[in-house]
Amino acid sequence: MGLLTILTVGIYRFWARTRLRRWYWSALRPGGFPLEYTGTPLEKFLGFLVAVVILAFYIGVINLVLIFLSFSLLSAPGAAYLLTILGVIPLWFFAAYRAQRYLLARTRWMGLRFGLEPGAWGYALRACFHWFLTLLTLGIWHPRLRYALARYRHNRTFFGTQRMEQGGNRTMLYPAFVHVMIGGFLTLGAIYETAPELGPFFAALESEDFSSFEASSPSWRLFYIAIPWLIFGLVYYGVEGRKLLINTLSVGETGFDIRPRIGKVLWISISGNLARYGAVTALAMVASLLLIGGALTQGLTMEEVSEGDPETLFRAVTQDLPGWLSTAVVVVFYFLIFLMWNVLTHVFLTMPTWRHYAETLNLTGTPHLATIDQRARDESREAGGFAEALDVGAAI
Amino acid sequence: MTTIRIGAAPEAYEGKGLYLDGASAEPRKAELRIDEARRALAILMPRKDPVYWPLTEIRKLPDQSEQDMAVMRLAKDPLARLILTTAQDQEIMRVRASELHRRPPVEGKRRLVVWGASALGAVALMIFVLIPFLADNLAGLLPASGKRALGESVFEDVRVALDRTGVDPLPLCEGPEGLAALEKMGTRLFPNQSEEEALVVHVLDHEMVNAFALPGGIIVFMRGLLEKTETPEELAAVYAHEVGHVRALDPSRIALRTTGSAGVLGLLLGDFAGGAAVLFATNRLIQADYTQEAEAAADAFAHQAMLDADLAPEALATLFKRLREEYGEPEGVVQYFLSHPSLGDRIEAARAATPADATFRPLLEAAEWDALRGICGE
Ligand SMILES: [Zn+2]
Repeated sequence: MGLLTILTVGIYRFWARTRLRRWYWSALRPGGFPLEYTGTPLEKFLGFLVAVVILAFYIGVINLVLIFLSFSLLSAPGAAYLLTILGVIPLWFFAAYRAQRYLLARTRWMGLRFGLEPGAWGYALRACFHWFLTLLTLGIWHPRLRYALARYRHNRTFFGTQRMEQGGNRTMLYPAFVHVMIGGFLTLGAIYETAPELGPFFAALESEDFSSFEASSPSWRLFYIAIPWLIFGLVYYGVEGRKLLINTLSVGETGFDIRPRIGKVLWISISGNLARYGAVTALAMVASLLLIGGALTQGLTMEEVSEGDPETLFRAVTQDLPGWLSTAVVVVFYFLIFLMWNVLTHVFLTMPTWRHYAETLNLTGTPHLATIDQRARDESREAGGFAEALDVGAAI
Repeated sequence: MTTIRIGAAPEAYEGKGLYLDGASAEPRKAELRIDEARRALAILMPRKDPVYWPLTEIRKLPDQSEQDMAVMRLAKDPLARLILTTAQDQEIMRVRASELHRRPPVEGKRRLVVWGASALGAVALMIFVLIPFLADNLAGLLPASGKRALGESVFEDVRVALDRTGVDPLPLCEGPEGLAALEKMGTRLFPNQSEEEALVVHVLDHEMVNAFALPGGIIVFMRGLLEKTETPEELAAVYAHEVGHVRALDPSRIALRTTGSAGVLGLLLGDFAGGAAVLFATNRLIQADYTQEAEAAADAFAHQAMLDADLAPEALATLFKRLREEYGEPEGVVQYFLSHPSLGDRIEAARAATPADATFRPLLEAAEWDALRGICGE
């Protein structure tokens, strides 16, 4: 699928994404019934085209005018880039909500449709407000943000005719956030303690020459604790926060009971990342061995090979080949890495995590479900097209 | 009792399934039979009328992650589902329902064509009409400091893009005697520059036979051009031509246009090809794809500037003529002033601009000229 996506300049991505979603949805079986994804590739492609038509004007004109203003008022491009990004942020949240709406409108469970009420601009407004506070408080506001946005979405979500309801309260995610705070605090402390030596450290990093750099402050060791703690804290916040949110969610009288295990999720993310980085590193090593072998057969001495940079070696190996062929080799290699990365991410990271959540999910009060009726079809014409055009990061 | 067997049908099939009618979330346990007379699957539920699914209309949902369960649907019914949980039931369906894997017909082809055309049209309208229109009008409104800043930022991008590794900027050639000679050439051509019109001249260490102008009076020569010019006058003619572009605001227009277009193209092509769009945009800047009128105007400006400085405009003609002889027909050659079909006209115009009885003063001493051509060092 990845291969087809590449060969068709990205158009196949709409088909690939549809098939992936069907696959992922079917793996989720709350109460023993699989979810079903009913979106079609063609409607996604259409939605993308619609979004392009609208955004082409917005982005083209805004870009140009901002660049102009920035250069004529401030004589620098930085402000323009910043303003362009700031101008796109509300649009980004808007697109994310619309994409969520499309996704729910094309999701079925036990034969009934899900749905999300309109409210994308309200969502964008709240998201901007909470993110502003989050930045202002160095992230301490984030649990409030996460709860507020989840509540906004969930309270507008329907299963058939039944509206969902997010319980809990505004501060309930703070216990899940505690390790991020500790890790962050330790990191800040470590930075503060080693501040006088940070300048030389980054200079050494830049020049790749550590011979003149010597860590004299004992506080460097603090990083060994602080950074892993922060990473653990982020994973913990992700898993535990999701658990708290889902367990306080209800569909009428039906509730959820999900018990993801942090150890398992950590293991998946560590092993998954090892697998994909390992595979790409292995591929790069094979390529460099081929390159060195090729260079040696081309009559280069061992010394020249060890001195030469990859570009010179590549030139030496491909000197007898026509130019288009050597370009093709590079392109194929690049795509191979891209493809492998994608496949490994799905197989070793996304799917196992997804499956773990699915396995630990149970429903309570299911008899109530039988009283829920079907809801009307939501056309959701732009089919997540804005999100696609703006690259709003969706894992699947 | 005799059973008439059709195809690979087993004896009176008795299966079980879960039926979801798509109207409520109540799964119903169902008994499954094959009704040979109707050639349909009979779905029998307590206290409900039986449902018949014609065998040829039954479809299986594709791309399911687990095979222990199969979900069936009816081709024309978007809602009702039948869930089969045993291998035996799935096997019967596989044998009896002949079109289990048939795909639904493609709907909305027309809308796709209409929107596809509109998307391309909108992008084309932006890139070829609206952005150029805006850029042309805004270019004149940029203050001098803004133009210079724009030019400098573009120059940095160009230097990085031209470098083969694509990481470090391409080095500048800064031989002190060469720079002095360039300075002399500039003062001779444009002796009374106002502060607004101040020029900055750079030489880039690159073999391309090219020179280009950037917003804010930044003129860039490539080493390749210095190697191909044979007299200081030829280089001065190119110099004056580029200044002609600067005074006509051509580079500012192009720079604003490309920033606008790059954003739109990036949007259409996504992350993957977006990088290529930026590269394409930078390339356009160096190629400086000006219109023929803009080129003719810059030439005319150069002729006048040369005459005012007691230099022969014909130098431009000699350079063009030699390059044409060396590289053949302009098509397919990367160098920008060769890519215009009207090269013959431009040679003619340069000749015509040179009065027969005029006398000219030399521009540089031989030593200065050598220093200039060797400005990049060995
Ligand atoms: Zn020109």
